[in-house]
Amino acid sequence: MQITKLKPLFYTVIVLLALVGSLMYFASIFSGILLILAAAVLYFVYYGLSVGKGASKALALSFLKSLLIPVIGVASALLIGGIIMAVTGYDPVTAYKALFYGGLVKNWSVSVLNAAPLIFTGLSIAFAFKAGLFNIGAEGQYYVGAVVATFLGLHFNMPALLSIPIIFLVAGLLAASYNFIPALLKVKTGAHEVITTMMFAQIARYLSSIFIRGMGGSSDGPHPYVTDPILKSNWLLKMKSIFPHANYRVHIGILIAIGMALFVQYILTRTKFGFEIRAVGQNKDAARGQGIKVGRNIFIALLFAGFLAGFSGVNQVLGLDHKLYENLNAGYGWDGISVALLASNNPIGVIFTSLLWGVLAAGGQYMSRTVQTPNSIVEIIKGIILFLIVAKYIYIHIGHKFKNKKKEEREAVK
Amino acid sequence: MSGIASILNTDLLVATIRLSTPITLAAIGATICERSGIVNIAMEGIMIIGAFFAAVAALYTGNPWIGLLAGVAAGGIFSLIHAVATITFHLDHVVSGAVMNILSFGIVRYLMVMIFGHPGTSDAIPVGLKAYQFAIPGLSKIPVLGPVFFDQTPIVYMSFVLVILTLIFLKKTKTGLHLRAAGEHPLALETIGVSVYKMRYLGVFISGLLSGLAGAYLSIENSISFTEGMANGRGFIALAAMISGGWSAIGSFVAALFFGFADAFQVRMQVFKVLNIPSEIFIIFPYVATVLAVAGLVRKSRPPKADGIDFIIEKEGA
Amino acid sequence: MSKMTKITVIMLVISMVFAGLIFANGGSETAPAAEKSKVIIGMATDVGGLGDKSFNDGSYQGLLDAKADFGIDARVVESKQQTDYVPNLSGLAEDGAQVVFAVGFLMGDALIEAAENHPDTSFAGIDIFVDPSKAPKNVEGLLFKEQESGYVAGVVAGLLTKKYASASDRLNDDNVVGMVLGMDIPPVERYQAGFYAGVKSVNPDCKVLSVVTGTFTDQAKGKEAALAMIEQGADIIFQIAGLTGLGAINAANEAGVAAIGVDVDQSGVAPDAVITSAIKGITRAVYLTIKADLEGTFEGGGNKVFGINEDTTGISPFNKWDSIVPGDVKAAVQKAIDDLKSGKVVAPASRKEAGYEG
Repeated sequence: MQITKLKPLFYTVIVLLALVGSLMYFASIFSGILLILAAAVLYFVYYGLSVGKGASKALALSFLKSLLIPVIGVASALLIGGIIMAVTGYDPVTAYKALFYGGLVKNWSVSVLNAAPLIFTGLSIAFAFKAGLFNIGAEGQYYVGAVVATFLGLHFNMPALLSIPIIFLVAGLLAASYNFIPALLKVKTGAHEVITTMMFAQIARYLSSIFIRGMGGSSDGPHPYVTDPILKSNWLLKMKSIFPHANYRVHIGILIAIGMALFVQYILTRTKFGFEIRAVGQNKDAARGQGIKVGRNIFIALLFAGFLAGFSGVNQVLGLDHKLYENLNAGYGWDGISVALLASNNPIGVIFTSLLWGVLAAGGQYMSRTVQTPNSIVEIIKGIILFLIVAKYIYIHIGHKFKNKKKEEREAVK
Repeated sequence: MSGIASILNTDLLVATIRLSTPITLAAIGATICERSGIVNIAMEGIMIIGAFFAAVAALYTGNPWIGLLAGVAAGGIFSLIHAVATITFHLDHVVSGAVMNILSFGIVRYLMVMIFGHPGTSDAIPVGLKAYQFAIPGLSKIPVLGPVFFDQTPIVYMSFVLVILTLIFLKKTKTGLHLRAAGEHPLALETIGVSVYKMRYLGVFISGLLSGLAGAYLSIENSISFTEGMANGRGFIALAAMISGGWSAIGSFVAALFFGFADAFQVRMQVFKVLNIPSEIFIIFPYVATVLAVAGLVRKSRPPKADGIDFIIEKEGA
Repeated sequence: MSKMTKITVIMLVISMVFAGLIFANGGSETAPAAEKSKVIIGMATDVGGLGDKSFNDGSYQGLLDAKADFGIDARVVESKQQTDYVPNLSGLAEDGAQVVFAVGFLMGDALIEAAENHPDTSFAGIDIFVDPSKAPKNVEGLLFKEQESGYVAGVVAGLLTKKYASASDRLNDDNVVGMVLGMDIPPVERYQAGFYAGVKSVNPDCKVLSVVTGTFTDQAKGKEAALAMIEQGADIIFQIAGLTGLGAINAANEAGVAAIGVDVDQSGVAPDAVITSAIKGITRAVYLTIKADLEGTFEGGGNKVFGINEDTTGISPFNKWDSIVPGDVKAAVQKAIDDLKSGKVVAPASRKEAGYEG
């Protein structure tokens, strides 16, 4: 029987299971993980049936292998963090118990809320890195997205199904255009985007205050500079409307973020544009030799990165706060760098590293509240995890040495 | 508008030096580092580390000079992480720099809580380096420029000297030439028997020392305590200064002066409320100036040929 | 299986076991051991965290004062980002806190949400406006009339900078004073407007300068702002800029002029230079709120405004300047306080109200 004829059926079931399972899991209905696992198993079953048992096993093994480095990195960082805690007088076991319980179970909803904006900025930076660019100014593009979303959120009076996508799109485009000058300068004069986007980020941070003041709040009363709340029709759907027992603050922004990650992965791996971007990122001169318009690709890549980061700001305004506060220390642009690096700039990986970061943040708060261990140990752990990306290179380095040693031994035996 | 004219005086120039010194130091450090072939965007993080350790040492010993040494040393040691990551482990320079910046914030925050019991600001040090300000007799009496260059605080004087030393180092000394070769023609350097790795380690280390000094300036000379985040982007402005200065010592110095001037000017313009525009417009002035400088001046210069390009010596087995 | 694969699998398994060990024990809620029969009072600070030497520290001090006097169990949590506000506030309530404080206006919405979910806990928000028509009955907003403290400080500055400049070497005859602002947010603006009005009320010809630095954590910018104004003749610098302002105070000290602190008594920063500080009375407000709740007189569902009448606002003692400040100035200060209390004088709460362009 031609199993491939059933491919559409299989894939539909797999996607549905994964979708519903994720939705449930994000709404803190943890049994959803069973559905996700079922989807994964079904995928391997189909793969085994259609390609062959051996190939399926190899696929599973290679998947586990790719998880190895990040898992070891995280585990080692936790170990070192535990040692630091023990040495400075805190009990690592209770601390970690609180950290993981808080982040993964009790305050899982907070982790999800933390992760969504990170996925967007992480994608922005990861995508730029694929093109060999460092979009360090993602924070500025975040502000642009947030300000535009607030403005539109206050004035767009249309049904949500129409207005929300439009707000995302417009805010994203404006955030993209915020990277116009840095992109132009990069292409025309070679000006390093680290400096230009960084400066633009600072400019956006200060200028956003002016816009926020203009969008509501009266300076007479005790009410500080915060915009008026956006129209209710422009709020992102809450999970609670699908699962009544979900935490009332979680919204579907996380799903939009995951969708965007899949979209970016698709662009990078299945489109000509993505191929050219990656070629430029690998070796500009070789790409030029192949006839790829390097300048044009760099330009568009920076703009697209701005687009993605802008979504992060929209997500926060439409989904979480429903208004914009002045003096709000967002920081998602900077954390996006960590998240992208940790995921080796893989869009799908960004989803997981963002969730990890979200868990650490939420868990850290829970830990500091309940067992009075300073939150800053989480910052250290994050730093160590980050640094252990180098572990990948150490691994390869050791791998080379190992291989060379083996070669020497074989030669010596001869 | 006589008001504006009154700010164009010696005070403005003194302020320019005051604001540009940390940028100058980090920028000439970056120049040396990049000339050896390693891209360094971690100056922000190294500055914070230097500022922190300088303040802590000055606090505990009561002696700001020890604080200065501590800040410089801390900067150098911290920068070695970047060196090991990029030179020995061949990690991407920009990635490593970004990680360094993030690491520095985490380390400082944790140590703040450990040592002072809370994040934010450290306790005030008893004596800052400002107390050691001195005027060079005679020269400081020169009209307009006298007080600017010859009546300053210790690290500022050091920065002037270091600019010249860097110039001499890079252009006239054998080590300096080897260092530059590591950044331009690393293979050629290896063939004459000088280790490119060693030269690059030196480059990174020196830039760490200088960024540490810049940080020490911020915490124990320009103020008397450490505040988290007190670098506030100066590390990146230093990067811009190095680039617009054309990867040279003098160029970096001039560019740093330019940025210091923009910032000093912006503050004084606010005092006069020339136009009734929101104060944020003034505040962004230095950042806009940075973008213009990088855009306009980069055309005239190019980075060292092997800058940012990894160099691997393959040692084949028997 | 090749050797590499074997090692891979083993290491993966070890990592998972390690992770599992952590999880296995974390299945239940970790409730902190409550000290025997002590009332728990919780406080969640904003992202600024403790160590800001004014706002958050001042609030926490109120908690500590209450601990000293009433023997309560004081818990404080520092939020890291806006998503932490609600979990922290709710969490403290769940831990059994009798009163939970939210510090800073950014926590406004979170405070209301937490209060709605925990009707048996009292909630108080510092600098948070509670809408009496909408808010639940267990939450109280603590608002401050910073402009009144600014006004009194302005009176001091206005008199010392010209008429009584001979009282100290640090003062000059130029009749100029300056203000260093952090970010241009309403609490800062209230101080600014009040100060301006106070100066003008006793010294109409005085030139009042202001510089906005745009940050609360950059000492160098604060120093620069102060020096720019000192160059123009300012001999008293009023800092309204948090940690940035520490740089301003130090600059004033080094330049041989005087300064006025903010929020809490900041004479410790530079005892010779700091004349006084404009007090926000957060410490006292927190203390009084705890006391009220312990006595059962907590008033939720509205706001409590702490101004000059509650003895929580005003200026701090002159400390080292006490012998320097002439009796006439002290009398004028008292008069200003009395006028504010009686309502004879109303300190403006915004630049517009004060007629000041900044």
